[in-house]
Amino acid sequence: MEINSILTIARQELTVAIRNKWTVIFAFVFGSLVLAISYFGSVTAAEIGFQGFNRTTASLLSLVLYLIPLVALMMGTQSFMSTEGGDDMLFAQPVLRSEVLLGKLLGLFAALVTATFVGFGLGGLVIATQTDANDFTGYPIFVGLSLFLSLIFLSLSMLVAVGCKRRTSAYGAALLVWFFFVIFYDLLVLGGSLLFKERTANYFIFASLFGNPVDIVRVAGLLSLKGEEVFGAAGAALLKFLGGEWRAIAALIFSLIFWAATPTLISFRLLRKQDI
Amino acid sequence: MIEVRNLIKRFGDFVAVNGVSFDIREGESFALLGPNGSGKSTILKCLAGLTTPTSGEIRISGFDTQEKPRESRRVLSYLPQRVGFHDCLTAREVLEFYCRLRKLPNARIDKVLHGSEFDFNGFCEKRVAELSGGMKQKLGLAVASLPDAPILLLDEPTVSLDPAGAIAFRQFLKGLKAKGKTIVFTSHMLADVEALADRVAVLVDGKLVALESVEAIRQRTKDRNETIEEVYLDYAKAN
Repeated sequence: MEINSILTIARQELTVAIRNKWTVIFAFVFGSLVLAISYFGSVTAAEIGFQGFNRTTASLLSLVLYLIPLVALMMGTQSFMSTEGGDDMLFAQPVLRSEVLLGKLLGLFAALVTATFVGFGLGGLVIATQTDANDFTGYPIFVGLSLFLSLIFLSLSMLVAVGCKRRTSAYGAALLVWFFFVIFYDLLVLGGSLLFKERTANYFIFASLFGNPVDIVRVAGLLSLKGEEVFGAAGAALLKFLGGEWRAIAALIFSLIFWAATPTLISFRLLRKQDI
Repeated sequence: MIEVRNLIKRFGDFVAVNGVSFDIREGESFALLGPNGSGKSTILKCLAGLTTPTSGEIRISGFDTQEKPRESRRVLSYLPQRVGFHDCLTAREVLEFYCRLRKLPNARIDKVLHGSEFDFNGFCEKRVAELSGGMKQKLGLAVASLPDAPILLLDEPTVSLDPAGAIAFRQFLKGLKAKGKTIVFTSHMLADVEALADRVAVLVDGKLVALESVEAIRQRTKDRNETIEEVYLDYAKAN
């Protein structure tokens, strides 16, 4: 692979994402979410005002697990889906098809990194000035996990676009992917766990965690926020199942890398044989 | 320079190209002529490495298009029938992008814009969204001209150009031909073929039904007192 080709395509993809206002819109949405959740997060307890990082991050995590996969899938599908003529010119250049895909992936990821840093960064800055900011350590981890989630779902959108011939079917497939990982998968696992006895059911649930990047990010996020306290006995059992805290971190990171790399590599392979 | 051997391309049950073979010499202007659906664009896409042949072999400057895709594409430029660029980019940004991709200096852009018969001026700073279909096609041609590649593949190049644009385009291609470029183009317009091609391959239903020099066809029109259209129809009907 030639790095010049990949970076050139990535740079153009980033420019297009910024010009099309995607990046600005997402930065605004992310920033507004942080501020709204931090400010109104305790409204049910008849309180109003900025909460600390820990509480804000825990509330944000649940929302981000819905939002980021959807954003990345839609943005990715639009970009990876071929446009008549445009792709012909691009793929007729002396570049490998995998370089085009990787360049687009990196460009889109750079756009989401920008939106995430601006949105969550500015939001975090406001919280830091309004609270004592003692408990901020989980927040950057949460931002990092959000970026991992973006990359994974951009990679899945690439696979969807490469696998679908028509734009409408690609958007449909992207929505199905979102629905499966964000909503249906957990129901499937819970249903499946009923087939096993107690101890085996626990192991089944723990192992199934690695079958869904959304769940991996959810668990990693909660563990980073002193999750043993949030998870209670289940959290302790999960850590034991994974072989302790450090092994758990390594396993979670490795599985996130796996989830980002696998759809990308499958897309490379599929596109190599396809007609443009 | 270009060798095509027993090229077959199927899309499901449909045979788009059926056992086509031909050679194109260096500096030659070669037309693929035929009605819609005769397989001429598919052949051009196979040459450009965009479509994978079902079977057969294509070599460009000695490089197999399947085994050495980067090397074979380095010596050619391809202009599709319909070009597409990001609407939010200016024409100059599009050209800069393709310059970087080909590792060419940006100075090459001005050379292309000012050194041709085409009226490229006045559209460089416009966004692609503001360009008409013909202007976009001109931008595509400018992109294809950037690398100064020895081989040019053009798919129905005059289709979306106005008459003045088509005339300028023919002049432009004649200039390239005079510089020794190898030009392969598809067309169903006999005027383009007669004006630009040295040799013509006539395709009907994916099969090569005739491969003749334009000079021989001209001679035939004189000998039999036929028009070039009648000669073409003879080839088509015979198959």
